[in-house]
Amino acid sequence: MSENKLTQTDATLNPPTTDLVNIKINGVAVKVPKGENIIESARRVGVDIPYFCYHPRLSKGDAANCRMCLIEVASTAPDGSVRKMPKPQAACTMPASEGLVVETETPAIIKDRKGILEFLLINHPLDCPVCDRGGECPLQNNTLFYGPPTSRFIEEKRHYPKSYPLSEHVVFDRERCIQCARCTRFTEDISGDSQLGFLKRGADIEVGSFASTAYQSKFSGNVIELCPVGALLSRNYRFKARPWDLLTQKSICTQCSNGCNIKYDYRVDKIQRVNARLNEDVNEEWTCDRGKFGHDYISADSRLREPLVKRGGKWHPISWTEAYALVAEKFKAAGSNVAGIGGANATNEDNFAFQKFFRETLKSSNIDHRLGAYQGPGAGPIFSRLGYHTTGTTIAELESAKTIFLLGTELADEQPILFLRVRKAARFKGAAIVNALDRAVADTTSASDFADVDLLYRPGTEVALLNGVLNVLFSKELVAAQDGLDFSGLQSAVAEWTPEKAAAETGVSAESIVRAAELLARGSVAVIAGKTVTEHAYYTDIAAVLANLVIAVGSPAGLNIPVTDFNAQGAADMGVLPDYGPGYTPVASAGLNTRGILQAAASGSLGALWIVGAELLEQYADTKLAESALENCQFIVMNALSLTPTASMADLILPVASAAEKDGTVTSCERRIQRIYRAFDISGNVKPDWLVFTEVAELLGGGAPYVSARDIWRDIAQTIPTHSSITLKSLGESGIRWQYAHPAPKPTVAAAPYKAPAAAGTSRA
Amino acid sequence: MAIMNLLFANREVPGIENIAVYEAHGGYQGLRKAVSLDRQAVIDEVKSSGLRGRGGAGFPTWIKWNGLPKNYDKPHYVICNADEGEPGTYKDRELLLKLAHTLVEGMAIAGYATCSTQGYVYIRGEYVEPAWQLRKAIDQAYKAGYLGKNILGIEGFNFDLNIHMGAGSYECGEESALMSSLMGERGNPRLKFPHAPLPTVEGVWKSPTLINNVETYCAATWILANGAEKYSALGTERSKGTKIISVSGHIRRPSNYEVEMGTPLLELIDAAGGVVGGSLKAVIPGGSSVQIVPAEKLAGINLDYESCFANGTLLGSGGFMAFNDRTDIVLLMKRTSEFYAHESCGKCTPCREGTRWLYRILDRITSGGGQEGDIELLLSVCANIDGRSYCGLGDAAAWPIVGAIKAFREEFEYWIKYKKSPVGSHAVPPSPDPVNPLLRLSAVNR
Ligand SMILES: Cc1cc2nc3c(=O)[nH]c(=O)nc-3n(C[C@H](O)[C@H](O)[C@H](O)COP(=O)(O)O)c2cc1C
Ligand code: SF4
Ligand code: SF4
Ligand code: SF4
Ligand code: FES
Repeated sequence: MSENKLTQTDATLNPPTTDLVNIKINGVAVKVPKGENIIESARRVGVDIPYFCYHPRLSKGDAANCRMCLIEVASTAPDGSVRKMPKPQAACTMPASEGLVVETETPAIIKDRKGILEFLLINHPLDCPVCDRGGECPLQNNTLFYGPPTSRFIEEKRHYPKSYPLSEHVVFDRERCIQCARCTRFTEDISGDSQLGFLKRGADIEVGSFASTAYQSKFSGNVIELCPVGALLSRNYRFKARPWDLLTQKSICTQCSNGCNIKYDYRVDKIQRVNARLNEDVNEEWTCDRGKFGHDYISADSRLREPLVKRGGKWHPISWTEAYALVAEKFKAAGSNVAGIGGANATNEDNFAFQKFFRETLKSSNIDHRLGAYQGPGAGPIFSRLGYHTTGTTIAELESAKTIFLLGTELADEQPILFLRVRKAARFKGAAIVNALDRAVADTTSASDFADVDLLYRPGTEVALLNGVLNVLFSKELVAAQDGLDFSGLQSAVAEWTPEKAAAETGVSAESIVRAAELLARGSVAVIAGKTVTEHAYYTDIAAVLANLVIAVGSPAGLNIPVTDFNAQGAADMGVLPDYGPGYTPVASAGLNTRGILQAAASGSLGALWIVGAELLEQYADTKLAESALENCQFIVMNALSLTPTASMADLILPVASAAEKDGTVTSCERRIQRIYRAFDISGNVKPDWLVFTEVAELLGGGAPYVSARDIWRDIAQTIPTHSSITLKSLGESGIRWQYAHPAPKPTVAAAPYKAPAAAGTSRA
Repeated sequence: MAIMNLLFANREVPGIENIAVYEAHGGYQGLRKAVSLDRQAVIDEVKSSGLRGRGGAGFPTWIKWNGLPKNYDKPHYVICNADEGEPGTYKDRELLLKLAHTLVEGMAIAGYATCSTQGYVYIRGEYVEPAWQLRKAIDQAYKAGYLGKNILGIEGFNFDLNIHMGAGSYECGEESALMSSLMGERGNPRLKFPHAPLPTVEGVWKSPTLINNVETYCAATWILANGAEKYSALGTERSKGTKIISVSGHIRRPSNYEVEMGTPLLELIDAAGGVVGGSLKAVIPGGSSVQIVPAEKLAGINLDYESCFANGTLLGSGGFMAFNDRTDIVLLMKRTSEFYAHESCGKCTPCREGTRWLYRILDRITSGGGQEGDIELLLSVCANIDGRSYCGLGDAAAWPIVGAIKAFREEFEYWIKYKKSPVGSHAVPPSPDPVNPLLRLSAVNR
């Protein structure tokens, strides 16, 4: 193990247990889980114990340092006699045990709390009036409720620079730090990058990074929220607002497919900051930096506020009526020679209206939301084998995996919240991590820091590597017989892939392959494959072998090849696919996929193209084709937030609402449907995508228009059987993962061919 | 008679640091005796000797030895605390310099009794020469077959001894901080029972760990070699055997003295040649962390755990400091508080903030800025640290000041009222060097 798993720091504050013990808190008897810390136990009986350093998700080792949570504790001997511990104890690490007697409000404890707060404040600058934390500051709050009215400290306070730049996003006010070690523990326990620690000692102690280098983390923003004072500050938000001046709206982060629950804190129509919102099933209470700092685009000045038409190479504002008339004219003229691309960043409702407009009004299935090579959610090669398209494991279930196999992914970038669960599984739940990487892409990833084994393979040899692992599983008899499954075909297919041969082919040592196989044989396996796999020319073969692997180790629901774009999963579910309608019902005659559409456009044969927010020039791998398509298409209308390079190639731009300006639902990579809510309007003149489609459909003689996103959801639930029982209300706070209606198919075993990379080369364009 | 040389019996023997001389003087007989018994019998021997930890707390040694689990499903570790940071204490230094083999032998006995295979001696960083002596002793012991594999020909009795040097932190002598430091972590203390398992169950590397002071292991060697009965015949009812006391201060012959437990304190002063430079004003019997006792209260005190405790102080680590009547107690406390503020690891609020605050108040008083109410403030700050801190360093910082105010309140009042020393301009101890600038205001740098 590359990580030192040897210290108190990997013990959680709340060990899972079902044993209950009887304790007494301020005279109230209560049964609590054995070993639970007393801050949590006290909450059960409505007793608040003040604290700073305690945090239920952080490890125990560096806890109990602030001493704010002191309580009096006594134990009950078997004969009933009560023995008081001579010193007050920290509630945050005090484990509940049978017969424990706790007092939290004695005169001594009330005095102790005053003492601790006085200590914390003697060197605190108390610049609350200009502190971002003011108004939501645990130090202010605890001082108000438990602190002394005055200070007896008359010496000069400690002084430090007020704005030490800790990282790209985080500014550190050292004077305000109370040394609670929440931030340092976060980097160790949660993000796993161990970037922050304590330097110096005594009253000179300070939070810092090794050799004062920049704090580099993909999750640094979380420490801002975690810090119980205003010591860690957002560079963006600093001095921008007082918390009580902000309005808050719930939302889902748009920066990737993980579906993090967030809050927009905004004033009028400007987002001031993004904070995480608790969802135990998804992000717990974290976000990644892309999410926390990536929503500036919503309130950007560059947002379009009225439709624009290109005339004589120049943009002219026009009214929606004129814009609609133009679209109607062009699409009528083009007949069924039309196409639509995009939707991966739009809501389910937008996408449903989008595909309905094409299929029902225009009678065309030339629609696709996929810009990358990954065709997963559509004709996914694993669906027929395993019964799901992209993800078999939920985010939360990753925690209970015994072994997690990462293949070809920098998970912290691609699926940040999945990464945090993987880290949690490794740190707190004893999961083993196998980290397989294409060594031409990277020789280390964030997971390498704690992986049990790294497999650095030569580009294009994934299938050989996996066959090698399967070979070991069979030859060491690590594959348990499973009812109705015949592994003999597979076994003989991989028989030639001895660890030695696989090692020669992949460049991974035979020992590592054996070790990986042994770890995978522990059962409860979750596999997560990433970009190197999904964008691979042999993606289908790799996916087939991965299916073999999860079946062989007895975790057929353990394969995950998640999508990456915000609502790509939802767009697929809604049927923004050329070959499948809503709910993956095959269409009678399949339309063109993204590539086909672009080729048609490039050849000049496409009559009209509707781009729904898709940044083709930036995101489509074959930039040449995209350019040529945009140049040669007869008419392009684009729903856009701002005048992006792709938008500037269009003929007409329709300004649409961002996620903060509309209601709706989105579906994360684990198929969790969650709601977003309108926070504000940046202009009365931008419209949600769904409204645009339904209004144009009406002009072209489509059916009854939708009047709200809720209205569309009703239609979705009626159309898609797997969504039929889900109402907006039932989504509640944590959303619902839609379930396949069919029973999981019997897994099938099928050997996949191995094509050596030298023969065909790899395509990771 | 006060002096009773057990561990020090061969202290003056020339060449006793060499294994041949040591063996000629009965060396390694304790280990031989131990391996002729079974493990539990060794622990029982330590139990009946009544030995208590010599690192300061006086915890019964056998309970620790007996506390390591006996299913042996994890590696066990034996650690010797040779960090000896307590001001006034220098007994471990002499033990290492001259009697390192006694320590090696004691740790091997402990290794045998607890079925441990690895031992670590954590030596304070400044003890370079003592560490070399121990290195020499360990090397010789390996050669002679007292360390290593199949020790004394006993199949499966394997015990390695390693030296780990500290890096200048008093706090790293606190046993849990020592373990953090030993494992390569920051020298911060760790959660204690009941917040975490005892070190004997989960110590270093999550394995059962025994940790004792140098003198404790050396005493164990003597006990095994000479029998528990002889040891427990010495001392008082609850403080058995002898204790090495490091005598310093205004005393004619500062040195380490091994005394029988229960020896009257004043007898030790006589044995050390009496007070120099004036008459006796006060004594700190157990290291800078314990309460100072004014001369007039010394008469009834004996050098054992119970008697010291009953008289409002502690035997501690045996760092015995005597002060003559030219000692300025307030300056003494200022220097003491400076030490603790400097050594606080900074982990917990009361000690991190409180120790520096105490120092700042005492510094202000002794710079002529004393104010009415300062004494109450000092006492109150001490009360807010004592028992509230994460580890014992906070308590150790508070006790001496409370003790000094109790015993010499009028000196504090004098300083506050007259802005000068009650013992005149020749007050000792003056601060020998300029106060560590780090302890003053940190540089203002905006
Ligand atoms: C702040 C602090 C410093 C300590 N320093 C030492 C030390 O230098 N040497 C030592 O033996 N014990 C020291 N101790 C005591 C140890 O924590 C521990 O009690 C001792 O090593 C146990 O050994 P024993 O049972 O043999 O006494 C210190 C304790 C505290 C709280
Ligand atoms: S951290 Fe809290 S107490 Fe400190 S200045 Fe900011 S608001 Fe005030
Ligand atoms: S910066 Fe904040 S979170 Fe980090 S130790 Fe200081 S107070 Fe705690
Ligand atoms: S009392 Fe607190 S700050 Fe002081 S040394 Fe112990 S843990 Fe560190
Ligand atoms: S909350 Fe318990 S010590 Fe900080």
